[in-house]
This record gives sequence, structure tokens and C-alpha cells, in this order.
Amino acid sequence: MNFKPANESTTRRTFLRNGARLFGVASLAGLGGVLASRSQAQNWVWQIDPQKCVRCGNCATNCVLEQSAVKCVHAFAMCGYCNLCTGYFEPEPNALTTAAENQLCPTAAIKRTFVEDPYYEYTIDEKLCIGCAKCVEGCNRFGNGSLFLQIRHDRCVHCNECAIARTCPGDAFRRVPASQPYLLKTTHAH
Amino acid sequence: MKREFQLSSRREFFGQAAGTMAILGAIASQRASGAESQSKNPFAYDVSHLQKTDPKLIAYEEKSRWKAPHAEAKRIAISADDTLYVCSGNYLTAHDSSGASKLEIAATEPTRCCAVAKDGTIFLGLRDHVEVFYAKGQRKAIWESPGKKPWLTGIAVAENDVFVADAGNRVILRYDKSGKLVRRIGEKDKERNIPGFIIPSPFFDVEISHDGLLRVNNPGRHRMELYTSDGDFEGSWGVTSMGITGFCGCCNPINFALLPDGKYVTCEKGLPRVKVYSATGEFESVVAGVETFSENARACGPSDCTAGGLDAAVDSHGRIYILDIVTGDVRMMQRKA
Repeated sequence: MNFKPANESTTRRTFLRNGARLFGVASLAGLGGVLASRSQAQNWVWQIDPQKCVRCGNCATNCVLEQSAVKCVHAFAMCGYCNLCTGYFEPEPNALTTAAENQLCPTAAIKRTFVEDPYYEYTIDEKLCIGCAKCVEGCNRFGNGSLFLQIRHDRCVHCNECAIARTCPGDAFRRVPASQPYLLKTTHAH
Repeated sequence: MKREFQLSSRREFFGQAAGTMAILGAIASQRASGAESQSKNPFAYDVSHLQKTDPKLIAYEEKSRWKAPHAEAKRIAISADDTLYVCSGNYLTAHDSSGASKLEIAATEPTRCCAVAKDGTIFLGLRDHVEVFYAKGQRKAIWESPGKKPWLTGIAVAENDVFVADAGNRVILRYDKSGKLVRRIGEKDKERNIPGFIIPSPFFDVEISHDGLLRVNNPGRHRMELYTSDGDFEGSWGVTSMGITGFCGCCNPINFALLPDGKYVTCEKGLPRVKVYSATGEFESVVAGVETFSENARACGPSDCTAGGLDAAVDSHGRIYILDIVTGDVRMMQRKA
């Protein structure tokens, strides 16, 4: 048999073999790219933009979890530590006490602690908070707006299509990098 | 087996169409009712009943209205000759009762408050210092900043003194007319029985009454306080309530003015309303209720309640000028006959 050196001219078989190898390498590279982009996509999470939130109540009722992953959070730097906290008290409370009938929160998830006359500190018990935003509305309407809603990522199951986002009338839900998963409120110039 | 397409008879066609329409209608109505129930918020924070004022309580009527000449209007003041001064944007402007402009002074930063002495000297508060102008607008002096984190929001002028409300440091600063700081008034002091000012948001005002005592709002405590010019605490009045007779929210009243007979004209945010109280603090009447300032009421809500607010000034005839800081409207209100 008389074989020609491979480098002299390419046979059909060699051409097809090389082509198949090249295709394999390209496929692997493409697959790697797809996997890389998918893993990058997993690094984005849902969050609520507090500036867009309209306190509609959907966060409490539309989450796929039995108790919503959305919770009220508190920017203490913005808080006035008010005696008459409109996020804590009913619009016309009988008295400024912690009695249940005076509290705005339907689950009594806000704790009121005396600091010094006339200041009180308000903290959220997240186990009780259902994310209804009633306190957020009271605080924004009459106060400094230090209470606001956020998706808590220790509870969120990271649905691809967030059930609350689909019905959010304020279009306040958006994806944020998992490395910076919260959109916090800060003080602003007057 | 080949299926043949057959044209329906007219009766069959209409029958089928009616059936389809009925099914589609049922689905649409079900969806609509679903959307309606979804739009109703079971956790709604409802204060709509507080946004309506009993007409019997309203003792004033609007006589004229005009716009502040620049955006971001903050405060108004009236001089002894009834000229109205408006702090808006980087300007201080002077107007007659119809709103016609008489003077405009440009500043290097937003103007926040002003007061005019009997001789026409203008004291203009910027964020961290006071500037003094002659009546015709030439700059006379620039006073030194009072110290750390000042946020000047109110000025009152007496015969020999100028009192400046510094919301940043929660204190009334007493200056002499040359700009020398003489005294700090209202800082918490248990030995002198001074409770201290609570200022959750930057609204803090001071006025001098005919009796020579300072009137100062203490918005975090929902009350007005009286001080001597030497800083002795003389008394206070005010009730915490969302009802018409009280002050509510984090901080109200935010601004105020004094009528010639010593009565108070108070301004509130959250439930934006202007009311008159007697010289001893009893509620008397409403100048303008929440329904007058609907846009201002909406401004408190989207993010916080520091965006809303009103200011008032009183002329020598007892007419009340109200500045809506959201819309920039200046209303002249006169007592009903």
C-alpha cells in the first residue's frame, strides 16, 4: 500500500475527522458558556424597590409561601423614635400604650421599647410580620418613612417568576445581584 | 375517513355564536370580579374620614391665589408694611397683596427662612448661616455659621435681637443685630425645667409675640412652647390627636404665625391643614382643611412625609397668607363675614 504523507494533502477521511473534532471542541465551549451564563443568572435575586412600593397588601397574600418572604424592615437612622409612631399606632388610638386595640399591626409584629422621654424604639419581629405594609403606609404618610418592605432571602425560595412581582401594581419588584440583595432606604436632603 | 367541511345553517350559526358569547362573558365577569377583589387591600390604612373638614369649623375663605415665582418654595414672611416675602429656590422675593413682584434677591444656595425688621432690614436664613440685606436688596452682612450641623428653618426679629431656629441642633439662637451670638435657648436642661426640642424632621419655627415672649413649636411633642428671651421656659400647650383639635404624626405643628390679637395660626403636614388657636391654646377654627391641599396630602406618602408641608404669615389686617410648599401656591385667606 502506498500512503501519502498526511501533511502533503488532506484526504476526505482526515478532513471529516478534523471537522468532527473541531465541532466537538466548539460544542463543549458553547455548553460551557451556556452553563456559565446560567450559573450567573442564579446570582440574581428578587427585591423590592422601596421608592416604588405602593403598599397595596399583595406581598402578604400573593407569595407562594404560606407566610410571605416579604417583611417590614426598619432604617433606624431615618427614624424619629416618635412617641406617637403612626407605623405602630392606629390612626386614632385610645391611648399611646401597647394595648392590642391601639396597635396598627394585625399580628402585633412591632415591639415598642422606651428609650428616654419622649423617645421610643420600634423593632420588627420577623416571625410575626406578614409583609402587609400597613405600618409602612402609616410611617410614610405621617413620618420619616423609615419602615419599608424587603424580601428576606433567608425565607425567599427564589422563584423564577415571582408570584408577587407579577401582580405588583407599583412595578416595584426587580432582580438585584445576590451579592447586594437588599435595596435600603437612606436619609435625603430636605 | 375523510371529514367533510359543511356550512352551518344560519340558525345553527347564531346558536353556536350565542353559546360562545355566553361562555366568554362568564369568563370575563369572573376575571373582573377576581381583579376587583384583588385590588381591594384588606390591610388598607384608611384615614379618609380625617381628610374631610366639618364646614361649620371653617371660618376663612380664599380671596386670591398666585404662584411663588420660583420652584421649591419653603417659607413666607410679612413685613410691617404688609409686603409678603417668599423664600423659593435660590431667591427671596417681595410681593404686594396681589402677588405682584416688588423685589428679588438672588442667593448662592436655597433660601430657607426670612424675617423683616421694622426699618426694612431683611434677615435671610440659608442652610447654615444668616445673611442681612438692606430694604432695597443690597447685601449688608454675612453672619458666621453657628457651628456643627446647623439647619436654619425659622427667623424672628425683635427690637434689638434676632432669634434663629436651628433644626439641626434643636435650639433657638439669640443674636444681636450685629450678628453676635448672645444665647442658646431651649436646650434640654433639667435644672431649669427645660424639656428640650424634639425635631424628627426639619420643621422648626420661632415668632415673637406682643408680650415679648418667644413662641416656638416643639413638633415632636405636638405642642407650642413659650420662652423668655433669656431662655426661661414659661409654658406650653397642645394635644396629641389626629382629630381637628390636635396635632398628629411624627411632628406637628410644623410652622405657625401669630394674629394681631395674639392668636396662633398653625400649619400641619401629613394631614395638611391650617387652624387658629386662642392665645392660651384652645382650638377655635379652621382656616383651610385637608381638602384644600389635596396635592400636598398626596406628597406625604410615596416615600416619607418631609416632602409635604405648609407655611403661614399674617398681615396687619389679620389676613392669613398660606404657602403650599408642594404646589408653590400662595393663598390669601380672609375671615368670613
